[in-house]
Formats: sequence, structure tokens, C-alpha cells
Amino acid sequence: MTPTIDTPDEIIDPRHGTNEQHRNRLLAAWSRPGGFFGWFTATTHTAIGMRYIVTAFIFLLAGGIEALLMRTQLAFSNNTFLGPDKYNQIFTTHGTTMMFLFAVPMMEGMGIYLVPLMLGTRNVAFPRLNAFGYYLYLFGGLLLYAGLFTNTGPDVGWFAYTPLSGPQYSPGKRVDIWAQMITFTEISALCVATEIFVTVLKQRAPRMSLNRIPMFCWAMFIQSVMVTFAMPAVMIASTLMLLLDRTAATHFVNPAEGGDPLLYQHVFWFFGHPEVYIIFIPALGFVTSIVEAHTRRGIFGYPAMVLSLVGTGFVGFGLWVHHMFATGLPQLGQAFFTAASMMIAVVSGVQIFCWLATIWSGRVRLHTAMYFVLGFIFIFVLGGLTGVMLASVPLDLQVHDTFFIVAHFHYVLIGGALFPLFGAFYYWYPKMTGRLMNETLGKINFWILFIGFNLTFFPMHILGLKGMTRRIYTYPSEMGWDTANGLATLGAYIIAVGGIVFLANVFMSKKTGQIAGRNPWEAGTLEWAADSPPDPYNFEYLPVAAGRYTMWAAPEDRAVVTGMRDDRREVLVTSVMDAEPQHRYVLPTWSAWPFISALLIGIGFVGTVFRFWWYFPTAVLAGIGLIGWFWPRRPWELGR
Amino acid sequence: MMQKTLDVGGLPPFSISTDAPLWWGQFWMGIIECTLFAMMLGMYFYLRLSVDMWPLPGDQLPHLLLPTVALVPLALSMVASWWASEGAKQNRRGAMLTGLIANLLLAGVFLALRIIEWDSFNFEWKADNFGSIVWTILGLHTADIIGDMGFTLVLIVLLILGRYAEMQRLGVHVDSIVWYLLAGAWFPMYAVIYWGPALVGGT
Repeated sequence: MTPTIDTPDEIIDPRHGTNEQHRNRLLAAWSRPGGFFGWFTATTHTAIGMRYIVTAFIFLLAGGIEALLMRTQLAFSNNTFLGPDKYNQIFTTHGTTMMFLFAVPMMEGMGIYLVPLMLGTRNVAFPRLNAFGYYLYLFGGLLLYAGLFTNTGPDVGWFAYTPLSGPQYSPGKRVDIWAQMITFTEISALCVATEIFVTVLKQRAPRMSLNRIPMFCWAMFIQSVMVTFAMPAVMIASTLMLLLDRTAATHFVNPAEGGDPLLYQHVFWFFGHPEVYIIFIPALGFVTSIVEAHTRRGIFGYPAMVLSLVGTGFVGFGLWVHHMFATGLPQLGQAFFTAASMMIAVVSGVQIFCWLATIWSGRVRLHTAMYFVLGFIFIFVLGGLTGVMLASVPLDLQVHDTFFIVAHFHYVLIGGALFPLFGAFYYWYPKMTGRLMNETLGKINFWILFIGFNLTFFPMHILGLKGMTRRIYTYPSEMGWDTANGLATLGAYIIAVGGIVFLANVFMSKKTGQIAGRNPWEAGTLEWAADSPPDPYNFEYLPVAAGRYTMWAAPEDRAVVTGMRDDRREVLVTSVMDAEPQHRYVLPTWSAWPFISALLIGIGFVGTVFRFWWYFPTAVLAGIGLIGWFWPRRPWELGR
Repeated sequence: MMQKTLDVGGLPPFSISTDAPLWWGQFWMGIIECTLFAMMLGMYFYLRLSVDMWPLPGDQLPHLLLPTVALVPLALSMVASWWASEGAKQNRRGAMLTGLIANLLLAGVFLALRIIEWDSFNFEWKADNFGSIVWTILGLHTADIIGDMGFTLVLIVLLILGRYAEMQRLGVHVDSIVWYLLAGAWFPMYAVIYWGPALVGGT
């Protein structure tokens, strides 16, 4: 039913010799040294993307264990399992891990892995930058956990509000570690944003004009633009305002010298709210891909969908003050942000209706991935409804900083990002490993997670309305919160069981799963034209796009690119609008310099946690790393 | 059935122009940096609005003479950078070298004037929030300028050694993009830091 694009037996371009010679030359050009040291030289997007995914998943498990510890502490009144100081460190590390070390890097990892495949190219535009970003992210995560395990875990909440996090009220190094961990992960996020932005604009398959880009690539593109304008804000908040106040005695948040703690909140949330969409928009791309393949039709309302994603990207920057309704801002400002917050429901509504129309009019196959999509729609709509409620100032003031908020954002983030992500794992696992995941275990996995999730977080709505504030480490029994808290803790353990089932499925299927072949779902986008798992060069012959869904086009309408050299890492550069071929482009080969650069810069950044002057050696170390990275190697001339 | 093909063998293996992915990447990195600067200026005005007097009592108004004079070498350095980038496109080593060296020297003059000006400030970043924001903007921009001067210096060394080909020429071209953005971003920042307090200062 789905013939492959590059048929193995036919010699497509005689200039390359036999197909085997062609493949061997490609493999030689795209391979890296093996062995332990070879690991540090990888620059292919599939390798780096997979590292992001695995690392972020490990951080998800760490964040999950922290959540279990918190739920255990809160299971009943007057519990002394953790104690206040440990509890503070654990809830801060949980939030920080989930936002900075799991959610954003996971979405980026999926993007790095899938976008070049979906666009029909061989690698991201800047492979070494890609590797560099991964190592920085890894070091940032290790820094945070090194802090936690030496009793120096941050304890001021994942947004580290001043003045609590300032030098006066948080002596010691806990907050400094948090602030510099942000620097690591944000530089990493900006690296990924830049390369995905350029890859989507300049490395699409020929004839993949803007209106033919797969929705997931649109989603990653819009996410990249959002990262570009949001992440500098959190670097200003954490590195410039907070860390300079703490290590260089500036006065950004010190009211005694004209500083303003509220400014920190503004700058932080100017990042923090778009952050939600930075996590959420790639998930919308997952959902669209899964729905298209499992209804066997293209997305209903493609232009409306793209515009609503762009709309989400814009409106997402105009909402940040709704996190600050309790700070006594002018009422006109509050009214504006209420309206903007409700407006986001319009674009989200367009997306939901487009999926529903696609499912309605398609021929639905209920695989596990589709279960997770349906679960996503249910949970996310509930989270969206409490979101509309919270956009109104009086209700927001009433439930501010209560468990109602905790329930709301877990419904939005777990429902909106984690469920689609699990769906995406089930959907793309065969592409990444070559084998299908077990469907029965998958459906059990879904139901355990779905029930566990609702049991954990639904009672929190009620707890919040009853007045239980977030971030308290215990409560007296007279409050009447025991039952709901007990249920939530039970639910958390059920979620943990779901996680174990998922991991079991991943490991078992890796060994014994059914062989997937190139396109097990009969899907339409180009990643399914590559081998499963893809070779380091992705495609023997680069595909030419035939409509929005090349794999669904008739074989006589498809074409492949010839004339690319196979003895070096060449990719094809195409025009921004219509993807007309412009020139070939030689990507740099494998290198350990991204790792060395990240290590040198990482050493410098860790120094800045302790002394401000470490920025000067950091600059020198960065210079050494970058010069090594860019130093020309023979042959200097590219030839033809 | 014969597989249909699209042959690109005749296309060049590089392009020193806005078609190059590196141009877009460098441009976008510049946009990231400019976003940072724009937010710093937003913070400047926010801090200004939260107090009555600006600069805070005891801080002098920044002098106008040296920073204004320094704009001349800065603007000229952008011209030098453009000259180098045109040389890169046409593969003229002399033009690349003269352009980059002039760029580096002019940027050095600009930086020297800036640092001389710092000596006349009577406030430190530790003094109050006016000092904090002014010094942070200046420090951030100076770090970027020095970083790009380092990049330029490396390119000059490569050109002198003769270790260059298309990729390094592309490097010269994108170096100019970074420099336009970094140097260009200084003009609004200069206006805010040096003219702002003089125009909208007192109570």
C-alpha cells in the first residue's frame, strides 16, 4: 500500500555506482569514531535528539519521585515524613526539574529528532551547536541535582520570587545554583531554537512550500520563535537581576535602593507564561501527527490550524500579568490581561474543533497513541475551563496560591503536554527503534495513567476551594483536608505504576516487539520514508515533496533528488517560501569541540555561582572552546 | 517504473549571501541578543517610573561629550565591516583584511572612549538601582563587543595565515551581520542612557 520512496533495487543515479557503493560512501561520510571517546563526537540529529529524549525522561522520573515524596508527606495531617526544609527543597526541585529539565528539553529533543526527518533533510542546520546545547543542558541538570544531594537544593519555589530569594532572606548557595542552572538550560534552549528556526526555513525538501510543512514542524518553528523572545527574559530575571543582586551587590530587587521586587515578577512571567506554550505547542504538533495517521486523512482546516498556532504564539506573550493579579496592579491593566487570557481560549478552541472534525470525518484506528490523544482532549479541556475561570480577577484572587492553581496547571501541562508526549512515544517508537510497542500493555498503560491522573489532581480543585494553600508541608486535622489529600496521594502512586508499565513496555518491545518496517501506521509525512531506525544520513536520496503528504501521493507523482555528493555531509538548501533548491551546503563533520566548549563554559558558570569575577575566566574558556570549534581543517576548499 | 528525479548537481556547494543557513542562524542569534537589550531598556524605564528622581540623588548625570564622539568610530566600523563582507562575497583577500582590521581598530577606539568615560561616573553598580541598570546594560553590551572583536581577530589571523576558503569567507560575511546588529543596537541604548536622564530626569 505504501511503496517506499527510494526503492532498493533500482539504480537511481548511475554516477554513484551501485546502490551498495552509494550507501557505503554515505555511511562513511556520516559516521563518527566509535568507542567511549567517540561518544563525545556525535553531531547527527538522531543521536543528539535521542540523548535529549533519554536525559529528559530520566529527569521526568526524578521529578516524579520528588512528586511521590511530596504526596507521601501530604497524605494525612500532621505528617513528619519530610519536614519543612526538605519539603521546600523538594517542591522547588520538582517544579524546576519538570519545567526546565524535562518539559522543554523533551519537546526540543523530539523536535531535533523528528523535524529534519519530516522535512526530508539529513541533519539540522548547525549540528555542532546542537551537540553543544545538549551538553550544556546536561551539565545544568547535574548542577541542580548536585545541589540537592548536598543539601543545597533551591528552596524558594520554581519561580524564586524576590525578596524571599534575594540576598537578605536566602543566604547560602541554594538560590545561586538555581539561577545558574537556568542559564545552562536557557542557552541550550536558544541553541535549539536557532537551529530549528533555520532548518525549517532553509532545509526543507524541494517543493515543500510553506503551505505543505507538516504541522509538527510548524509547531516546532513557532515554538522556536517563542523561545527566542521568551528565554532572554528568564536569563535577565535569574542571571542578571537575581544573581547579580546576590553576587555583585546590585539593587534590582532591593526596594531600599530604588529596586523593585515586582519587576522581577514581570520579567520572570514575561518568560514564564510563554513557557507554557513553548511546552504545549509541540504537543499540538504530536496530536496532529497522530490524528492524521490514525484517521487516514489530512488535518481538517490546515490554514486555520497554522494560523491558530501562530495566534497562540502571539497571544501567549500578552498574558503574563494574570500570574500577578494578587500584586495590586492597576485595574485597567488587570482588565486587559483578563481579556487577553480569555482570548487564548478562542485559538485553542479552533485547534480542538479542527481535531474533532478530523476524527469525525476520518476512518479512526484506535491504537494506543490515539487513546492518549483522546485522553489529552478530555483532560486539556478540563484544564482549559479552569483556566478561563482563573482569567477572571475576583475568582483568581480567591484561589490564588491554593491547590486549585496546582490542579489547574497540572491539568493543562500533564493533559496538554504529557499525554500527547506519551502518544508520541507510542507513535514514533517504531521509527526510533525499528519495533512496535506492545498494544495491550499500551492500553493498560493509558488507563492506569488516566485514572491515576484524575484521582491525583481532581481532588486538588476541591482542596483549593476549601482553602488549602500550595507549598505548605503539612496541615492540622481540623481542616478536613485528609480525605482529598489521601485520594490524591493514592492517585500519585497509581501514576507511578503507570510509569513502570510504560518503561516495561519500552524495554520489552525493544527486544521482542513486532518489526515495524518503514511506515507501520501508513502515515503521510516524510519521516516514514526513512529506515526504522534511520541511518545517520536519513535518506539515500533526498525526497522531493509531493503535496502535504508525500507518502500518500501516487508513486508517479513522487521524485527524489540526485546530484548530491555522497562522500561528505551535504544537505540541500532551499528557498524560504517555495522551497526551490538554491545551493548545496556542506555541514561540518563529527567533532569533540562542542563537548569541550560546553565543559569549559560549564566550569566557568559553576564558578560564577560562588564569585562574580568567574565571568572573566568563563569568557576566556569560552573563547578557547569556540576557536577550536571553528578552526579550519583540510581540505579548506569545497570544490564542486 | 523509473523513479522520477530532480538533479541538483549543477548547484554550487555554498553561497555567501542571505541564502546561506549560517546567515539566518547568525541573524537569529543577533535577534536573541537584541531581545535581551530591548528588555534591559524596558527595565530601565520601569525602574525610572518607580522613583521620583532620576538619576537617584547623589548620582551625576552621565556626560554627553565622549559617548557622542564615540558614535563616530562606531558608525565607521560598520562601514568597514560592510567593506569586508563585500570582499568576502567577491573573494578579495585585501578587501577582507583591510575591512576587518579597520573594523577591529575602530571598535577598539570606540571601546577605549567608552572605558575612559566610565572613569568619570561617580556611581557604581552597587550604589543604587540607577547604577545597577546603567552598569549592567553597559557591561552586557561591552562583553558582546569584546566577543565580536575576538571573532574578528580570529578571522584576521586565518586570512593572514591563508587558512581560508568558502566557509571562512562566509564567516567574514556573517561577522558583519553580527556587527551591524551589535553596533546598531548601541544607538537606542546610547540615547536612553545618556540623553534619557537629561531629558526626563528630575521630579
